[in-house]
Order: sequence, then structure tokens, then C-alpha cells
Amino acid sequence: MKQRNGTIPSMPTPAITGFGVYLPQFRIRTAEIAKHWGQDPSSITSSLGVREKTVAGSDEDSFTMAFEAGKQAIAMAGIRSSEVSAVFAGSESHVYAVKPTSGMLAAALELDPFCYCADLEFACKAGTAAMQIIASMVKSGEVSYGLAVGTDRAQARPGDALEYTASAGAAAFVIGPEHAKGALCRIERTLSFTTDTPDFWRASDERYPRHAGRFTGEPGYFRHVREVIQGMLELTKLKPRDITHLVLHMPNAKFPQKVARDLGFTEEQLELGLVVREIGNTYSACSLIGLARVLEEANRGDVILLASYGSGAGADALLCTMLKQGVRLPPDERPVEYLSYSTYATMNA
Amino acid sequence: MRDTPPIIHRLQKKRAQNFQEGTVLSYTVLAHPPKTFKGQRTIGLIELEDGTRVLAPLLTRHPAIGMHVHPRMRLSYVTNEKLRVYEVAYESPVDVPASVPEGSAILTRGFPGYILALTGPSGVGKSTVSLLLLQTFSEYIAQVPILTTRAPKESDEDEYVYVSKAEFDALHAEGKLAAATQIPSLTEDRWYGYRTSDIEAIWSAGKLPVVITEMHLLEQVANHYGRRSILSFGLLPPGNSKRKMLSALLHRLRQRGRDTEEAMQERLKNAEADLAFFHKRRDLFDHLLVNEDLESLMDVFRKNVPGLSEA
Amino acid sequence: MNREISLIGIGQTKFGEWWERSLRDLLAEAILKTLDSSPCTPLDIDAVIVANMLGEWTDDQAHLGALTASLLPHHPPALRVEAACASGSVALYTACALLESQRAQTVLVVGAEKMTNASGDAIQVALMGAADSEHDQPCGLTFAGIFALIAQRYLHDYGLTREDLSIVSAVHHRNAKGNPFAQFRQEITVEAVSESPLVADPLRLLDCSPVSDGAAACILSTKFKSPLRIRASQVSTDTLSLTERTEITSFQSTKAAVERAFAEAEITRDDVRALETHDCFSIAALVNLEDLGFAEPGRGIEIYKKIFEEDEYPFFLNRSGGLKACGHPVAATGVKQVLDVAKELQTAKLRFGLAHNIGGAGATCGMHILEYTNA
Repeated sequence: MKQRNGTIPSMPTPAITGFGVYLPQFRIRTAEIAKHWGQDPSSITSSLGVREKTVAGSDEDSFTMAFEAGKQAIAMAGIRSSEVSAVFAGSESHVYAVKPTSGMLAAALELDPFCYCADLEFACKAGTAAMQIIASMVKSGEVSYGLAVGTDRAQARPGDALEYTASAGAAAFVIGPEHAKGALCRIERTLSFTTDTPDFWRASDERYPRHAGRFTGEPGYFRHVREVIQGMLELTKLKPRDITHLVLHMPNAKFPQKVARDLGFTEEQLELGLVVREIGNTYSACSLIGLARVLEEANRGDVILLASYGSGAGADALLCTMLKQGVRLPPDERPVEYLSYSTYATMNA
Repeated sequence: MRDTPPIIHRLQKKRAQNFQEGTVLSYTVLAHPPKTFKGQRTIGLIELEDGTRVLAPLLTRHPAIGMHVHPRMRLSYVTNEKLRVYEVAYESPVDVPASVPEGSAILTRGFPGYILALTGPSGVGKSTVSLLLLQTFSEYIAQVPILTTRAPKESDEDEYVYVSKAEFDALHAEGKLAAATQIPSLTEDRWYGYRTSDIEAIWSAGKLPVVITEMHLLEQVANHYGRRSILSFGLLPPGNSKRKMLSALLHRLRQRGRDTEEAMQERLKNAEADLAFFHKRRDLFDHLLVNEDLESLMDVFRKNVPGLSEA
Repeated sequence: MNREISLIGIGQTKFGEWWERSLRDLLAEAILKTLDSSPCTPLDIDAVIVANMLGEWTDDQAHLGALTASLLPHHPPALRVEAACASGSVALYTACALLESQRAQTVLVVGAEKMTNASGDAIQVALMGAADSEHDQPCGLTFAGIFALIAQRYLHDYGLTREDLSIVSAVHHRNAKGNPFAQFRQEITVEAVSESPLVADPLRLLDCSPVSDGAAACILSTKFKSPLRIRASQVSTDTLSLTERTEITSFQSTKAAVERAFAEAEITRDDVRALETHDCFSIAALVNLEDLGFAEPGRGIEIYKKIFEEDEYPFFLNRSGGLKACGHPVAATGVKQVLDVAKELQTAKLRFGLAHNIGGAGATCGMHILEYTNA
């Protein structure tokens, strides 16, 4: 929508113009972990709804995975990497405590050196927070294109319940103006709900996070996801049935299924983005990978509601509309390799 | 190794230009690399697309000279001062094992777990392409025979193995078929399938099994062995719209003169479904080729099938 | 060669693991033996050239020219030469230059290395200094790995088998039985080579020259005469890294140096009756024969097979035992090779011999042709 003097409008609606996903080729089945700890494999698998999870190789980390996803996203967006001038990377496993993943990405992906960069942490919602920030920068005209990344090589204490689901992966989104060639999905609105809730945390000198058991449920995940979804629906005057696809943060399959049901969404709406069943919980990349899956298959005009959750706690919501038919990612031809528990433990050491 | 921050900084600036696809010129597996690296390390001398050569880790477990590789960003090691050094490593998208039997002179190629599939609608010229493919690369590939319950036809070559319905059902029940599908026709119910033993025999002979197939069988083979075990090529007729493609197909079917008008119309209906399948199940195809020029098609295979580059 | 340069004295230590001897001890022993075997006195030495690659790594010791010269009472002019494993031959080349220009009339050349001071891992890293620090080192390659890449390609291109490659080390060990200075003097079987532990696929432990301590020295003179003459001294270079070469199963530097050496000595290939080549790894022995023009590409093994299976040799080939059986104290090798050629010519009364020394993966090639005028 150009103004009469031919310039681009100064407050373009932001849209996703490219996306990428990176998953390691290693997997470990829930059953394998359960057997190692002497638990009943089928009851654990069915209670979590997660069959297997991804495992990063020992030469992979949040940076290498974010790089691969970012490269794919920029390729799909069909722009030169130097046209991207902002990158925000969200993770709970940034490779350094001080020295940002986003800066390393800007250099490795050969983005515009005059680039806004910073790392984000908000447990599993750091990736969507990055999307919100980039969307705002595009909307305000501060940048033409920006890259939002969620990446994690999630660590879980061996023997802890989290071990079944804490996995590794990255997703990246190029966000630009909705009139950009190949713009895929317009971001209509974003919303966040935040409190101070000690459901899951990791002290800076600790290797593994700690969590508060069942307290992570209702006061944590359910409350915040509910608030942000209800808030978004109210703001946009939409009803659950107006949403074609619902993508939620997925610590397992049961939590999103329950909150969706409670809020009046159907299983069909949740189905496409429910990737946790095959790849586990990729933390900051989790809901982003679910969104990517939807973006591959959705049809023009489909309305997507994404709600992620980060412990500590907060929930982000993004409401989007497909501008065209979904675009498939290039297939990953590497053979998937299932690990035994001992190989998995060595790899994670 | 000197790995002070200025040295690492300069080294990492050069990384971006190595992020290209390439071909393996030589490789080795180091039993005892320098202590900074943990465990064995496979290094390749790789020629990149722009002609430059690099020495870099190979992520594939079974490297082979001539193998085509893709770049990957990987962590190389962490310095004593906890700085992380990253490198571009190279992997083969399809892990093709190459075994060297004791005392043998040339690396023999074994392809266990990996199948080449060529799928296309009737009349697109699959037989012509597959015949040339099998002739050109006869040392490396072998066609998987198609089991069928229909009666032999005069126009059949030797790509079929004819079995009775009862035999077919028995094999199916015993789980000895990698794929089985029924193609209903006006005249008879025909079942088609592939025996796992036929595929395995080709692997044991050190060759790559090729299936010249249609969409249902392709889907099933992908389900049986795993999607990533198939290097899948789709063959399309020339034409930039469905209508043009269908008319090209009809023209070829008429030229072939093998079928009655009725049978041709049926083939065309199947063809329409086939073309829709290419779009809907694009995830089952690694490459979509247009059958226009046979020589350039052979080059595409040469370039994209590991091991065939030397043929 | 514009002067008549005579080889008037030779001497070396036995190569091996010398825990009780330091770098200085090895230098001194080789020099004393050399002086003992020469007609000149220590005071006749006009210049000292020391070949050494790893002094800084093994001993925190640079400045080896002055250090060695102070072994002589009159502290003659001295310098240290480094060209990785070709340091020895490049030191000889430098001596010839001083002699031809008459800046010196009698020059002492000594190559020495004290590799067992450092750990195996440290030595492996140090040796990679012979390769390219920007192209070759970052991926974690070792020198065995570099020659393994060459071997892997050679096996692929020429169909050489593992058994055949094992013949090379078997021949070298057999030859060393008659060399009292060699580190290893026991024969090894082809099977033992083929089954030795894998170092870098396809190279195995017994395909690789060992880590050794040792020193070798000689005196070259235009003033004193002897029947052993240096008829050619040539050095050529190439890129350090295989990534900058068009082919990897052949060394351009050897090919360039050998033609110039034959031209300088005014002889042909057929005149060479004794050959010491640089077999840092078994595959190098084959590549060397082909680069020197004694075999067609891919057919170097035929010469080794004839020697091993039929005891037939077209010329003396690594009769000393080569680097594999003698040991390879890096910078001493180039000097030791000339000593060995000299001894072979004298003992068997042969006229011309060639010493072929390379540094890194053929990034430097140093070549010397000797003539024994009493043949």
C-alpha cells in the first residue's frame, strides 16, 4: 500500500516473510529413558503424550542451531542477508553468559553490520518475545527486516521428570513489511501477560534448572496462557471458533491440550502445531517450531493464534493471518538416529 | 594450536565463504587428533562450488571420494580460556555407507538402507528414462522387480514378477512386502508390490536398488524403510500448467499406441491424480524433474545421487 | 655449481630415543665424529650452519647457530636454518651458496632434533607448523592425516592395495639391518604393517616414520679435496597446504628440483646408482619415486615389489633403511641422507647418488647429487 508520493508507509504492518527450523538428527525415545530409570515406558509416554525428543550432538549448541535456522529463514525470505538489520535471540542456554548469541549470528549470517542486536531470556518465551520486539521495530519503521530467533539446547537433571521432554532445536523468523514480496503471514497484534511466579528457575552457577512440581501447572502455565489468550480474544473481538490454528507452548502434549479444551478450542485447531509429540520441548524454540509447522501447511486467510509461556512467569500471544498458501521448508534428508540412554548421557556431558 | 582471541577473530571472519556445497576429493579418519578435540575425527579435503578447496571435518560416518556434501555450522572446540571456536563442517545429506573389503583395490559401494525412487504418471516416459538410467549406471544400480498379480502383457519387458493373488496375499500376510497397492482398473483388479528380499539382495550385491514406481507404492516404501531412506525423484511431463502437462501426456500415450482409447482415458484420470500428488505430497520428493532432454536428466542423476558422480 | 665442493667429513649419532642426552649432547657428538673423520682441524671451519625445526618447542631454545658455534674454540660465523623436515638439505644448500661465493671455504653443516623432550601430543601439534596454520591446522589435522589424505586418494586413483603398501615399510626395515645408526634394525612382515594400529585411515602405525632424537653432520670444503663431490644442490618450494594444489598424489616441488639437479650435475636419471628418498610415510616413498621420474604415476610400488619379492633393485633405494627404519629426527634427516649416499657410493664404488629431502607435504624439496670420483 504505497502512499501517493511513492514512499513506503512509515508504519507498515509487520509480517513473517521467511522462516527456518533446525533440529538435530539424533532422537531418544521416552520409552528408552523410562527403561533406564526403571519406570514403565508406556505409562510415561502416554501421560506426557511425548514419544521421543531431539538430542543435540556434542558439536552443536544454541548458536550453531540458531545459525542454521536463520540461514534457512533468510533464504526463504528471498532477501539479501545484508537487508536484515536487527536480530534478537531468545534462549535459556545462550552459549555465553556474557557475549551475545545475537551478535555472533549477525556476523555469521552476514547481516547489515549496522544491526540492532541483543540476547533475551524469559525461559521458554524468549523466542516469542524476540518476535514481538522485531515486529515492533518493523512497525515503527526502525528497520525494514529483522530476524527473531528462539534456540535452546535444553538441559535437564538426569532422573528428573523434565528429562523426558527437554530437547534441542531452533527456529528463526524473518519479519518485514506486509507488502514485501513473498510476505507469508501478517502479524496483526501481540500481547503479553507477566507476573513474578517462582515455578521454574536456574541460578547462574547451577547447571540444571529447578522446578516446583505441580506448582508449574495451574499458577504457572495454565494461568498465564489463559490470561493472554483471553486478553487477546477480547482485544480483537474474536471467539475461539474464529481461530483456524492454535499454537501453544508445549512442555508436553497434555498441558496445551488441556488449556485449549478449557478455553473452548477443538483438537483440530491444535493438531497441526502440536510438534512436541515427536520432538519434545525445545524451550525457546518450542512454540516457534509449532508455528513453523503451521506456516508450512496453512491456507491463505487462515487465522493463527500463538500463545507461548515462559516460566518466571509470562505468556506472549501473537495473532496472525496467512497472506498466502503455506510454504514448505526444504526436507531434511539426514537419517534420524535413535540413541541409547548411555550414548545420550555421554553426549550431554 | 595458537588460539588467542585475535587469531580466532581473524579465522572466524573467513568462515562465511566456506558455507557452500562441495565434493569430497579425499578424506581420512584420525585415530588421535590433537587433544583439544575429543575422540576420532573424520577430515575431508573438499572442493567447494566456487572451486576453492578446504580441509574440514566430515560429519558423515561413511565418507567416499566423489561424495556430494552440504555445509553445517558446528562447534569446533572450546579454548582453555573458554572461548568457543566454530567451524564449517560438511555432511552428506544421504548417509551412504562405503565399505572397503579386506584386500580390495577399489572402494566398493554398498548402499544398505538407501533406495533410489523414480515416480511419474503414466505416459511421462518413465520407461525410457529408467532404461537409460539402468544402462548408464549399470555398475551401480539395479532395478527392483515389481510383483504383480495381473497377467503378463506383450508390451511388458522384464521388470515384473508375476504371481497369483494367493501368493501375493501370502507374502503380504507374512510381512515380506515393502509395499503393496491395488490399482483398480476397468478390466481387472491388479495388485502391485515390492519384495523386501529383492531390495535386500541388491544391497548385498553392493548396488543401489531403484524403484520405478507410482505414488501409492512410493508412499508405502517410504513408510516401510523411512522417508530418509529414499532418494526420490519425480518425473513430470513438460508444460507449465496442469492442462498443458495432461495434454502432453495424452499425446505421448497416443504415440505409444499401446492402449485402447478407453484405457488411455483411464490412464489420464490416474495421471491427473498423480500430478495432484506431486503437489500435495511434495515432502515425498527430493527432486522434481521435467522429462525433456534425456542427457541432461542423466546429468541430474549423476550430480544428485552419491556415488554416481564417477560413472 | 661454480666451484668444486668436496665432502670431507661425516658423522652422526645413532637415531633413537635418547633420554640421557640433550640437544647440545647430540650436536656435540655428531660434530666431534665429523671432525674426527675429516682432514681439517676445528679452526679450519669458516662457518657453521645448523638445521633444526623444533628447538623452541622441545627446549625453549632458539639461536642455535651461535650455540653450536661456541662448541668450537674460535666461535666462527653461524646461523640456523629451518624448512621443516627439509631443514637438513636446505642447510646444505646454504653451505653450497657460501662456498660458491667464497664467503667460506670450509663449512660445517649439522642437523639435530631432540623430539623426545616434548609429549607425543605436543610434538604432533608442533610438527603441524610444517603445514599451513590457517588452512590446515584449524580442523585438527595432523601430519599423518595430511599424508593419509594423499594415500586415500592414491589408493582410489591407482587401485593400490593395503598389502602392497605394506611392502614399503618391510623393505625399509630389511635394509636397516645393515645400518648401525638406524633406530630400528629388526625386520617386520607385511602382515605386521597391515595389522598395526590405525593412525589416520588408511595409514597405520608401521606406515609412519617414528619420533626420534639424533644429529648428523658433515663438512663441505672448496679448500680441502676428497673423491666425494657435491655436483648439484637444488631447493624448490610449493604451497604449504594441499588445498592450494591441483593434485595431491604428486609433489610439484620434487619434479621441479630433480630436473634442475640433473641439469646442474650434467647427468641423467639413468646415472643415479644410489637413491635416498624422503619416506616420512610409506605412501611418500611411492610418490617420491614417481615424482623423481623412476616410475610412472601409480607404479612406484613395482620397484618396491621387485626389491622385496625378487631381491632385484635397479639402484640402491633407501639402503640405509629410509626415515621409517633409521628414524626421523626432523632436521637431521636431510644431512643424514647425504651421509648415507656418500657411504653407499664409496662402499659399492658407484659414481652418482641422489639424496631427496622434503619439508611438510612437499612444500620444500631439497635435493643433492653426489659424485664419487674413484668409482
